[in-house]
Amino acid sequence: MGHHSTSTRVQKHIGDPTEGLVEEVSREKLEEIFQDIQGDLRFDHELNGCLNCGICTATCPAAHYYDFSPREIVQLIWTENLEGIYDAMQEKIWSCAQCYTCAARCPFGNSPGGLVMLLREASIKHGMESAKSVLRPFSRVLLKLISTGNQLSPDMINADGFPDWGPNICKVDAPLKLLRQAIPMPTLNTIKTAWETNLKTSVELYTIWEETGVLDQLETVDENLFDVIVDIMDEKRDDWDDYLDEMDE
Amino acid sequence: MTGKNGNGERFTGHGSEWRDSNLSEADALTATTWVESKIDKRSMLTNKDRVHDIREVMWQLEKEGEIKVHRVSDEHAPRVAKTLYGWDKKIPTRQLWHHKSCGQCGNIPGYPTSLLWMMNEMDIPYLDETDQTSCTAWNYHGSGIGNIESLAAVFLRNFHQAYVSAKAEGKPEGYYYPLVHCGTSFGNYKEVREYLLLSAELRERVKKILGKLDRLVDGKLLIPEEIVHYSEWVHVMRKDIADRQVIDCSNVRATIHPACHVYKMIPQDVIYDDEVLDGNRVAVSTGIMQSLGAQIIDYSTWYDCCGFGFRHIISEREFTRSYAIDRKIKVAIDEANSDVMIGHDTGCITTLDKNQWIAKADDRNAGKDYELPVISDIQFAALACGADPFKIVQSHWHASPLENLFEKMGIDWDAGKANFENYLKLVEQGQQENLYDPRRRITGGPGYINVEERKKLGMMK
Repeated sequence: MGHHSTSTRVQKHIGDPTEGLVEEVSREKLEEIFQDIQGDLRFDHELNGCLNCGICTATCPAAHYYDFSPREIVQLIWTENLEGIYDAMQEKIWSCAQCYTCAARCPFGNSPGGLVMLLREASIKHGMESAKSVLRPFSRVLLKLISTGNQLSPDMINADGFPDWGPNICKVDAPLKLLRQAIPMPTLNTIKTAWETNLKTSVELYTIWEETGVLDQLETVDENLFDVIVDIMDEKRDDWDDYLDEMDE
Repeated sequence: MTGKNGNGERFTGHGSEWRDSNLSEADALTATTWVESKIDKRSMLTNKDRVHDIREVMWQLEKEGEIKVHRVSDEHAPRVAKTLYGWDKKIPTRQLWHHKSCGQCGNIPGYPTSLLWMMNEMDIPYLDETDQTSCTAWNYHGSGIGNIESLAAVFLRNFHQAYVSAKAEGKPEGYYYPLVHCGTSFGNYKEVREYLLLSAELRERVKKILGKLDRLVDGKLLIPEEIVHYSEWVHVMRKDIADRQVIDCSNVRATIHPACHVYKMIPQDVIYDDEVLDGNRVAVSTGIMQSLGAQIIDYSTWYDCCGFGFRHIISEREFTRSYAIDRKIKVAIDEANSDVMIGHDTGCITTLDKNQWIAKADDRNAGKDYELPVISDIQFAALACGADPFKIVQSHWHASPLENLFEKMGIDWDAGKANFENYLKLVEQGQQENLYDPRRRITGGPGYINVEERKKLGMMK
């Protein structure tokens, strides 16, 4: 497959600035991607029509800072501009801050933020490099979430990780473990997870991930992370089986 | 904007520094009408005829034997609030199952502890247990990893656990009603419930999964009658909370940051209260601050998001920082001379609290002190009711200058900190104080103490 600009209708007529080289994609592939987007049961709920009024873009936080417009995303999908959709999936869809101001304002009851999520899911399903690249710095959240069911943990919040948060990340100078023990909710005396998670809960969650294709998504975007998480899952499942055996005895 | 009586009075709380812009009446009307039509309740009312009350579908599906509804019943002592279109929403006030927020627990622990402390003060039974996952929606909105099926299965699993959890204490199913702490969980769960009720295909798909987990009730999916955010509990309890107030807050100038996922997702299910800003804006947080006697100061970007962005706060931080500072913090200080910004959601409090220090690096801010205490409504309420600022409100985890707020409220920050540092020595010796018996937190699996044993140990009330 050659590497050159797709030179799409959108670039020609709207001037969509796709940077760098984008893999050429066949019409069949574009249609397959669009069918995945359109096939989601939320699609018809999120898109009802569009008169290009632009109120979504007028109130969009991401539009203040990025070359991003929810109006454009809606128009591309509404007019079934498959090349334009593909181009937008290379970068633009990742600008959206998911605040849903657009959805609350749209006179048609569209949810541009919701449509962005369908595009993000499709970009992951199709293993787009843009998705892999944009999610690389997010891998620690993914690790926490899929292996523990929590998305953030106290040990992620530290001055090394967030130097731009300044010197006051914690105003009492004491070890993290001690400070967490001093929280009067016993479920929160943890460091590696936001709260103590029951072993049974984790094992149930793993079934959900497997049955709903989330692990497949993960494997597509980050194979190494997938391997690490599968090891953790196996270990916890073994622990759970051991516990059940103990109960039987 | 005129007040209830049309006498020229503004939203409560414009302080003495506030000066009228001296617009002509016609210009003021034009400006106000434009803004109102874009950003307040009225713009959403235009959709009223096209929005259904999903609960009607829910009752019909239960009648047809398709689902089971977890009811808000008399034992939960519900109070009725009005939502956007004037519909009733039942808010349970007792026997609550705390559905925690990963961001709050990981990063702002004083947020949930203040809530539990308040419930202890009011002798309200609750359960805080380990058998729950986060809603997984922060990750979903940030990364796109996940899908409607996984979100729905997680929702149903957690709410099923809330339904059966009391059995671990020898109480009946449905005894505890779930109270959702996180705004994103609240918005996400409401959206997911709607899709579940509208789509037989989705129900069929997740029913298989919930069956494997043994999480069906009489072979049916369990759907909650109401999805309730903690801020709604605070709102309906605001007068009871104010009855416990020991600190005068009348000199505090508060700005409110309403959370996007609380009032922009499924907006028809959001509380609007005629007693709060004439019912024109989402009532939660403003209502409790009003009841505590604080001044509520308006600012022009109240409807903007905080800049959290889900993925952005981790990996596109320049957006998050710029948005938080330029669109929220600076505006609240410049326009409202605010003493504190009050929020009701996890990501917002984190974003607005942590992203202030970096403003010093911006030359445009030279000579201005853009620092603003940021705290949740329930933390503020707990402080006003006498909660310990460190042990309970856990103020040391906040990067923003809560010290300034404490001074304004007459709370001795230095003494509180010294007390807490002494308390840490006791904690080191294993003498920490808890809001409830820690043994109650485990309701199944390793570490669970069964009902008979609990009776022997005197754990049962």
